[in-house]
Amino acid sequence: MAAIDVSGLEREYRGGLKAVDGIDLQVQAGEVYGFLGPNGAGKTTTVRMLVTLLRPTGGRATVAGFDVATEPQKVRRKIGVALQEAALDQLMTGRELMELQATLHGIPTREVAGRAQDLIGRVGLADAQERRVGTYSGGMRRRLDLAMALIHAPEVLFLDEPTTGLDPTSRATLWEEVRRLKNDGTTVFLTTQYLEEADQLADRVGIISAGKIVAEGTPTALKAEVGLPHLDLSFDGDADLARAREVLAPLGEVRDVTPPGADVSLGVREGSSAIARVVRALDDAGLTVGRVELVEPTLDDVFAARTGSHLEGAGEAGAAA
Amino acid sequence: MRASLIVIRALVRRALNEILRVPGAAIPGVLAPTIFMLGLSSVFGEASSLPGFTADDFRTFVVPVGLLQGAGFTGAATGVNLARDIEQGWFDRLLLCPAPRTTLLTGVVASAALRALLPATFLLIVAFSLGVHVPTFVGLLIAAALVMGLACAMACFSVTIALRFRTQQAAPLMQIASFIGVLFTTSYAPKPLLTDWLRTVSDINPVTHVLEGVRQGFVGGVAWEHTWPAFLSIALMVLVLGALAARGLRRYGV
Repeated sequence: MAAIDVSGLEREYRGGLKAVDGIDLQVQAGEVYGFLGPNGAGKTTTVRMLVTLLRPTGGRATVAGFDVATEPQKVRRKIGVALQEAALDQLMTGRELMELQATLHGIPTREVAGRAQDLIGRVGLADAQERRVGTYSGGMRRRLDLAMALIHAPEVLFLDEPTTGLDPTSRATLWEEVRRLKNDGTTVFLTTQYLEEADQLADRVGIISAGKIVAEGTPTALKAEVGLPHLDLSFDGDADLARAREVLAPLGEVRDVTPPGADVSLGVREGSSAIARVVRALDDAGLTVGRVELVEPTLDDVFAARTGSHLEGAGEAGAAA
Repeated sequence: MRASLIVIRALVRRALNEILRVPGAAIPGVLAPTIFMLGLSSVFGEASSLPGFTADDFRTFVVPVGLLQGAGFTGAATGVNLARDIEQGWFDRLLLCPAPRTTLLTGVVASAALRALLPATFLLIVAFSLGVHVPTFVGLLIAAALVMGLACAMACFSVTIALRFRTQQAAPLMQIASFIGVLFTTSYAPKPLLTDWLRTVSDINPVTHVLEGVRQGFVGGVAWEHTWPAFLSIALMVLVLGALAARGLRRYGV
């Protein structure tokens, strides 16, 4: 049984605006599903429906086997949620918040303190647990928010843009925690506008635009749809480019169009592992390679191919790495 | 049932935590009823000598009004705090916990009942030190229960407004019920001295019964004929306004 099963899900607001327009998706237990899209695409609306904060106006969705519309309380017992803004009471300490969250989720009183301590330690906030949350940095708040979402050991974890606005170090820490959760078997539904984040963490990715899913699959398969990785090569001196193309032809797809700054562009299915073979073949033919750059298709290329526009977070992907 | 009580206690503790950690924020609400009592009794103190006035001392007559005002302010503040929680996303966190919605609502409203005792206590300390008649223990107990009940009712009203508008900017609307409810009663003068229209309004205003129930301990003595209408009025207000708040909560996110 799928951990998340969505069929024809819709959310229409007054005035006829459809924020989510009939999406279908399935997330298997233990899978990390990346939900990628620009601001306003419908990611957060979808998450709010799946976590029972917003009632769907059409379609059906089950989470952990329970219908979000008719069995919301059962769904809430099975899920952990860290929403886009880490909503924390700034007057309370980290420990107090963890214990309150545990109480709200019905953890037996005798277990509350122990569970809170375990998770506070796991997200690296043990030293700060007696400080008021108002004094925490953005990264610390996100980590506390994540720990709070995990207090009742949920089967399915929803992370809504968990790293937006975080510095690279805090982002890397959160990524590490998501990987650990995956290894522990937790199903993770991760919305993000960062390509790198989806690429690094997700087993499968759904790309949403204007309330509809425009592409879905593993990051590798999606990127393969828009073309092969390619090597952009430039040569030292007055190299015989016709000869170079001739040498390269058996090694991949020599492209007709060469990007600025390169002499030849070669499509190679195996990506970076082709570099050594290509350079050696050119060297054997007496052609000295001055520069070689591997260019791989990105999820932004997938998004662009499907929608004709680019993801807003595409430019920040590098910063996320 | 026990699980619900634990959740309610946790929510009440969080609400009280705010008073302990930011006492400055609670000061206006605590002082206002006392200032009102002092100011009003200074200006209208001689009114008690009017024929038909049922109390010898205007201050004693008006202290119960201050108690109900404190309850009203506290109830309205509960809605404002909820609107802030909605704006900041904290309320979503509450809604995501598996506790029944009614439990969450009860936790929020119950905190108002306890917090209402703070302005009431301060007012009584000042009033008694100025020579206001000290009621019997039973009279005080009834007053405290009615103050807490009115705070709950007003909290239900303000919570309904907060759930509808989801912004602290709706605060004036949250306060309006307690203003109208408390002032359009026998707050300033006994019923025979009110103008016709105000007497009519006070007759149908349930808060009048609550006020008379609180006042009986200060002016005269505790009597069943003043006690049961007061508690019945509180029960009806909590029932009706609580149902509205519960409906607002059910419709939240629809």
